[in-house]
Amino acid sequence: MAIRDIAKKVFLVEIIKGMALTFRMMLSPAVTRQYPEEKREASPGYRGLHALARKEDGSARCVGCGLCAAICPSRCIDVYTSEGPNQTKVVDRYEIEVLRCVYCGFCVEACPFRAIVLTGHFEYSDYSREALFMDMDKLLANWDKYMAGRKGVEYFKHFWRPLSEDFKAHDDQAVFRGNRK
Amino acid sequence: MDAVIAPVVMRLVPMLVKMAVVIGVTMLHVLYATYFERKVIGHMQVRLGPMRVGPHGILQPFADGLKLFFKEDIIPAEADKMVFRLAPVVFTFAAMSSIAVIPFYDGFFIADINVGLLFILAMSSLGAYGVVMAGWSSNSIYSFLGGLRSSAQVISYEVCMGLSLVGVILLSGSMNLSQIVKAQQHYWYGMFLFPQFLGYVIFLVAACAETNRTPFDLPEAESELVAGYFVEYSGMRFGLYFASEYISMLVMSSMAVLCFWGGWTLPPFITNAVPALLAVPGIIWFLIKVYFHIFLFYWIRATIPRYRYDQLMSLGWKVLLPLALVNIVLTSILKYFIG
Repeated sequence: MAIRDIAKKVFLVEIIKGMALTFRMMLSPAVTRQYPEEKREASPGYRGLHALARKEDGSARCVGCGLCAAICPSRCIDVYTSEGPNQTKVVDRYEIEVLRCVYCGFCVEACPFRAIVLTGHFEYSDYSREALFMDMDKLLANWDKYMAGRKGVEYFKHFWRPLSEDFKAHDDQAVFRGNRK
Repeated sequence: MDAVIAPVVMRLVPMLVKMAVVIGVTMLHVLYATYFERKVIGHMQVRLGPMRVGPHGILQPFADGLKLFFKEDIIPAEADKMVFRLAPVVFTFAAMSSIAVIPFYDGFFIADINVGLLFILAMSSLGAYGVVMAGWSSNSIYSFLGGLRSSAQVISYEVCMGLSLVGVILLSGSMNLSQIVKAQQHYWYGMFLFPQFLGYVIFLVAACAETNRTPFDLPEAESELVAGYFVEYSGMRFGLYFASEYISMLVMSSMAVLCFWGGWTLPPFITNAVPALLAVPGIIWFLIKVYFHIFLFYWIRATIPRYRYDQLMSLGWKVLLPLALVNIVLTSILKYFIG
């Protein structure tokens, strides 16, 4: 045993083994992704830039309940509403300060109307702060750009659940269950 | 008057042209050695290495060189300015002048001196002065530690390196590098690598230590000493240190090739089998062998982590030195009985 150990040391067996490994690795293809040229598709459910969902008729799904703003831990959502004709609630302004958002996704889960989503778009860096202050028009445009069609439907199927379903109340209690179709 | 000057000029001009060619090629080699190193180590770490400047980053060395030229040259206020300025010059001088005695192929050298081997050893230890001066004059603790470590390391490993080459000197009976190459042709195997395998391994380890390459890069251990003895250098002075390190790597690789791998020649048993190989110019074989050794330096760097300082010293004095002495004794016996 001792002789074998000495022989191992003299003939640098371990070092030669290590060098064989590094040589093999040199011939194997590199795992580097050349980012700006070689982009990677964000996986489904990725929490990127915000968007406001549209109904089939093109208007925003948001009803201005303010639950997203209430649950937001960084308080980056502001919703301003007023009373419209026939005692309806009108969303005047819906604003997100994207620079303050921590991308927790609570707003998506809190929303009972599937109105707000986090899209898979993540390359929106900018030199000005103003460009990253999202008002309602911008957020609706984001939906058209990144979530329109099949993608948005799939998103809600897999990544949106109203909190009320996770924490069930007594059966005799009146509970809002969202208007899932 | 012309009769006096003409012969001098006739001798001087080819000499200067030769020097210009050697220096130019060496500097170009240094530029691309950095690129080669980054690529090799990158691929060994399953990365790509430089890819941005030019196709596959082929112009990266020029970008780096330009950057070093135009960077601000900072001299610390507390530094010993005279020594601080002198140190990189000494280091570069030592590295560059070793190139002068290396025969690249049969008859192509700047100076054919009879103690070429000793000259290179002397120059590589002179380079340690550049390191020590840089470490001391910077007036920084990191540089100073780097300088101290380098001097201790170079002294220890120079002994092993010198002794590992004694076997070669015994077998060839000369210290002239061209003569050593020619002496290897007298044997059918054509390389001292086979009878001097032990000496070759000791030489390689000592060469790593002499050039401050990775398993022994304690003088510039970036994880503890930032950059070691040249922390305070910037701009082109830093560039000189960087370039000289690559030049001394080239010198050590050339030494290994000349002393153990038969220089620009191929072993007779290969050329006898395939005589067509004799038509290939010797410089090509020389460069292939040299670049293999340079690759070996990179390969070792990508594989082996740094030694601890006491391990470094005990390896040098307790393992390599006795082995080198054993090698000398064995070689002498071999030479006495076989001739």
